Amino acid sequence: MADRLERLTNLVAVLLESGRPLTLEEIVERVPGYPAERESYRRQFERDKATLREIGVPISLEALYAFDQETGYRIHRADYELPPLDLSDDERVALHLAVTAVRLEGQVGDAGGGAGRDALLKLGGTLGAAAPTLAALPDVPALPALFDAYRRRARVTFTYRGGPRRLDPYGIVFRNGHWYVVGFDCDREAIRAFRADRIESGIEPGRAGAFERPDRFDPASALRDEPWRFGDEEPVEALVLVSAGQAGWVEADLGGKAVAERRDDGSVVLRMAVTNREAFRSWVLGLLDQAEVLAPPELRADMAGWLSALAGSGAGA
Amino acid sequence: MTRPDAAVRLRRLLTIIPWIVDHQGSNLDELAARFGIKVAELERDLELVPFCGLPPYTPDRLIDCEIVDGRVFLRFAEYFARPLSLTPGEGFALLAAGQALLAVPGADPSGSLAAALGKLAGVLGAGDGMAVELGPARYLEPLRAAAEAGERVEIDYYTFGRDELTTRRIDPRAVFAAAGQWYVDAYCHRAEDDRLFRVDRVRGVRPTGERFEASSRGGAGATGPGGSGIFNPRPTDRRVTLVLNASAAWVPESYPMESVEELPDGRLRVVLVASERAWLERLLLRLGPAAEVLDPAEVRVEAAEAARRLLVRYG
Repeated sequence: MADRLERLTNLVAVLLESGRPLTLEEIVERVPGYPAERESYRRQFERDKATLREIGVPISLEALYAFDQETGYRIHRADYELPPLDLSDDERVALHLAVTAVRLEGQVGDAGGGAGRDALLKLGGTLGAAAPTLAALPDVPALPALFDAYRRRARVTFTYRGGPRRLDPYGIVFRNGHWYVVGFDCDREAIRAFRADRIESGIEPGRAGAFERPDRFDPASALRDEPWRFGDEEPVEALVLVSAGQAGWVEADLGGKAVAERRDDGSVVLRMAVTNREAFRSWVLGLLDQAEVLAPPELRADMAGWLSALAGSGAGA
Repeated sequence: MTRPDAAVRLRRLLTIIPWIVDHQGSNLDELAARFGIKVAELERDLELVPFCGLPPYTPDRLIDCEIVDGRVFLRFAEYFARPLSLTPGEGFALLAAGQALLAVPGADPSGSLAAALGKLAGVLGAGDGMAVELGPARYLEPLRAAAEAGERVEIDYYTFGRDELTTRRIDPRAVFAAAGQWYVDAYCHRAEDDRLFRVDRVRGVRPTGERFEASSRGGAGATGPGGSGIFNPRPTDRRVTLVLNASAAWVPESYPMESVEELPDGRLRVVLVASERAWLERLLLRLGPAAEVLDPAEVRVEAAEAARRLLVRYG
């Protein structure tokens, strides 16, 4: 058997150099190594095509002539070739450092050692000695497809929490150890964030250029950290007393603007805009004895009621 | 040794050929090192090149590959003069790695890395919609410096699980980001054992003037970031069985579980390891009626006690 690698290489060369789509028969005639019998060479070609697509060779199927039923394959050079990046040596070294110091976990390594390294090699970088890992990020199967849709501005469809979602992806953010895709949820008509690892299906991309990303859209701030603001309830302003032991980092977390009062014992009163009462309660309870809801009376009563129910339920146990 | 399959070899070949076309006379050893393969593998790939080309595969239509004194020359390979464009997976991985490194405190936001990422994002059409945040870490810099210099430091550390602040002397070995947090892998003189500390829970760092032997490798994070080092339950830790409503389905997604089982009514029965009481109190107070404690019974009492304790402030 002729070497498969040889046949694949010739196939790429032939499809790249042909100025027009080639029919399967033309391909088999031009590229040595295919079996003689039609069903066999058709199957063999399908396998080869799958291999080429796997490594990212953009084979397109097109009509041979305008208005023609017959179709053929070709590779457009503009799609195939890496555009020049004009990286300086320093820039290449910086990317090399990034690929060695940052690991995408769960990535299927191969001879080159991961997608980042393969990319680096294409850019003319080199594989140096391994360095200790400085940061590890999880790799999620949906990410390449989400990234591709994001950069091509293609609407995506996927299943999330059991239901179908349609999203115009505006950005991809890594926060708190998770990857999120942020964008315009076409059904809810609002900006929404989805955790990439919780997507329950493949990513179905629509056509490219389907939407415009809003000017100066900041995906990181769209993915709001403060869960009590992430709701649709009537906003209320809450005051929360946090004791000295926790005041420092809570303030660092919320920002100095949130401080309504500093008390002599080191505790602080924080002002919080709440549109999600459940998330707010959860956050306050996370501080255990170190926090108390001061106002408004409505949220204070809500907390007291919640705690009473729990205090009572254990009494009989 | 398993032979790399045709896809891997083809991807490599389509990267190596343009490099050689651009760098005629490259040395075999250097090429092999550059592409992270053995010289024999490279030679095997290059042996094939003279059989590749275009119909009718006459000498003038085949790629001419010559190796003279260990130096490689390629002719008639213009159609492979440029590498294959990046796949979405490759582009994403490189951008993500670069942005992560740029997110490390102390990185130069206008240095070479940022410039390279800008060019890369431009070519990929990726704009500026990608962001990587590695978690807050006020004391990252002093801890990294101490780890690098092998300096023993004293830290104030907040133990979330016990809700207490302690002061301890540690020998920091390495600092790394994993699972959305910064960690310092260290020998702790208070625990007399290796410990992983979350940098965001460090409330103060002071030099001691003492040094430690940096040779004591290994330790709590020896498996590396993301490995089992971050959460290692001990056999003596308390196991708690809960039944969770749908609204508490985030719990098994957020914390390590020993087991998760879906009940016929759609609720989840989970077993989790709760080494610290405060951690468990926090969880049960937040979950409220969405969680039912099956076992052990005393946990139910503890949760109710915690609720009564907090309730005092609302009386």
